[in-house]
Amino acid sequence: MSSLTLSKKLYKAFFITLLLVFALAYLGPLYVMLTTSFKGIEEIRNGNILALPDALNGSAWVKAWSSACTGGDCFGLAPYFWNSMRIVIPALLISTAVGALNGYVLSQWRFKGSNFLFGALLFGCFIPFQVILLPMAKLLAWLGLANTVTGLVLVHVIYGIAFTTLFFRNYYVGIPNELVRAARLDGAGFFAIFRHVFLPLSTPIIVVSVIWQFTQIWNDFLFGVVYSGPGTQPITVALNNLVNTTMGGKEYNVDMAAAVIAALPTLVVYIVAGKYFVRGLTAGAVKG
Amino acid sequence: MGSIQIQQLTKSFGDTQVLKGIDLDIKDGEFLILVGPSGCGKSTLMNSIAGLEEVTSGDILIDGDNITDLSPKERDIAMVFQSYALYPTMSVSRNISFGLEMRKVPKTEIEKTVGGVAQLLQIEHLLDRKPSQLSGGQRQRVAMGRALARNPRVFLFDEPLSNLDAKLRVEMRTEIKKLHKRLGTTIVYVTHDQVEAMTLADRIAVMKDGQVQQFGTPYEIYNNPANRFVADFMGSPPMNFIECVVLDDKLVIESQGEKFELQVPYGDQLKKAGLDTVILGIRPEMITEPKPYVEGALVHTIPMQIEVTEPMGPDTIAFGQWNSTEIQARLSPEAGVDAQDSGKMLVQVDTSKAVLFDAFSGARLGG
Repeated sequence: MSSLTLSKKLYKAFFITLLLVFALAYLGPLYVMLTTSFKGIEEIRNGNILALPDALNGSAWVKAWSSACTGGDCFGLAPYFWNSMRIVIPALLISTAVGALNGYVLSQWRFKGSNFLFGALLFGCFIPFQVILLPMAKLLAWLGLANTVTGLVLVHVIYGIAFTTLFFRNYYVGIPNELVRAARLDGAGFFAIFRHVFLPLSTPIIVVSVIWQFTQIWNDFLFGVVYSGPGTQPITVALNNLVNTTMGGKEYNVDMAAAVIAALPTLVVYIVAGKYFVRGLTAGAVKG
Repeated sequence: MGSIQIQQLTKSFGDTQVLKGIDLDIKDGEFLILVGPSGCGKSTLMNSIAGLEEVTSGDILIDGDNITDLSPKERDIAMVFQSYALYPTMSVSRNISFGLEMRKVPKTEIEKTVGGVAQLLQIEHLLDRKPSQLSGGQRQRVAMGRALARNPRVFLFDEPLSNLDAKLRVEMRTEIKKLHKRLGTTIVYVTHDQVEAMTLADRIAVMKDGQVQQFGTPYEIYNNPANRFVADFMGSPPMNFIECVVLDDKLVIESQGEKFELQVPYGDQLKKAGLDTVILGIRPEMITEPKPYVEGALVHTIPMQIEVTEPMGPDTIAFGQWNSTEIQARLSPEAGVDAQDSGKMLVQVDTSKAVLFDAFSGARLGG
């Protein structure tokens, strides 16, 4: 008996150690990024990479935000941060709205070929970005949207619809069709049913779609670097330029601060919306 | 007002024909029950009346207006669904008022209607709750309230009681019947439960394979079934079907090696038709312990080996065998105890209400 419990204990210890190692692999670099961003450049050159900063020095953050050089310009990340926002927010809202309508139609208003259409839309989830780079560039030029924020929004909306449609369709499939029938007899039309019956039920899946789309579009680098112009680059491209632009020595503290700034919005979205996400899921689960 | 005429209605899904030419004439204020086994097309027929399903051919008229091609909301019909289909995010009062809201009824009038309906169904204390906070019976009431609020020409009920427990089902059944008496609005009600059909209906349409097998009052359906299917479907315990050899104008019953001759109504027609065998349909309540006060040419006494008895309370069902067919007899509880003890008894067979069917087609003979 005792040997069994001993082996069980060893087993448990092994897994906990393994998990700790994985956690460290993720948290270690983050720790280095954060501590480095608060150090002065002298301290970085002379000190230990793992040491805590002597004092909290926020100058690297200020510089990264407002005066670091990205290529020829030296305005920091701020203008690109807002560029990203101008791309992400419309693309996110449009793709979620279209996905919701698509999902509503594909789950509740089946028509001839609707399953084929859904399959074709799903196919969009599997197309790698690189494959469409050239044709999409041609298309954007033809539409007169090359190097514009609108062009980037369009690309992200089109790519996002495949995913948001999948989310909403699979969520709405679980809502009984009798609700639609009841509402039709009550005199509600297509959009009235969507607004009064389906949208109020959709909080959890809207949150899922928002988190997904925000993360995807905010973190996108490839479309951002290819389809943007000098004034419309998103923050991921700016971060790359910032790190690759050196005036004299490498300013690791500014690079690290810039990287954290670029990652911050997605973290905030997870922390804020994630709470509603879990709440929404459990509320749905308990409903009789 | 709400009379419904259904004329030569057909409906196909791809190659499968689900409704094969339905004709029904439903009077204003009538309580019509559509009954049949699953897959008989009764729900499709109801959805066609509601406008939720497009028909393949044929016409549906309400008060003489052809509504076949109208959308559900233009038909002035309200429906109670099997799953209730209450809007989960809306309060009970908004569930009831939603249909009026969609029809742009003035606010004050909506409030008045909701109040009236809530009072009628005794759900006033539930108006602010969400459907998830209600019990099954309460949800059922709200679903009916939603239909009532619209004051339509026709109510449709799609198996509304099948999600309730047995006791509540009986209560709500009575309540629906009372409600119909009070409102006098035409009701079309789908069920697969023959007891519900018998108890509620003014008239019953028994359906099978997309066709109406018989359309009549509960009395006609029970006592004068059009064919073997209807006779078998209506009634619990079910009618006994015994294949019998025809001897002149009588039928032969074999019990424990002995043969007995049974006189039946329309016996003379049997002789003319020249059939060798027929199916005798006789309900369990016509096979009883001997009752000396029942007399006549159609009353016989035949022995029966009792295999098993099932006491139901008011009476006992006894199982035996005639002509190698299982027979159910309906005995008084006392006779049931005796039969159980002795394992055999003499039963009285009253064929005055017996019906005869063709042995092959199941079609009704005579009558």
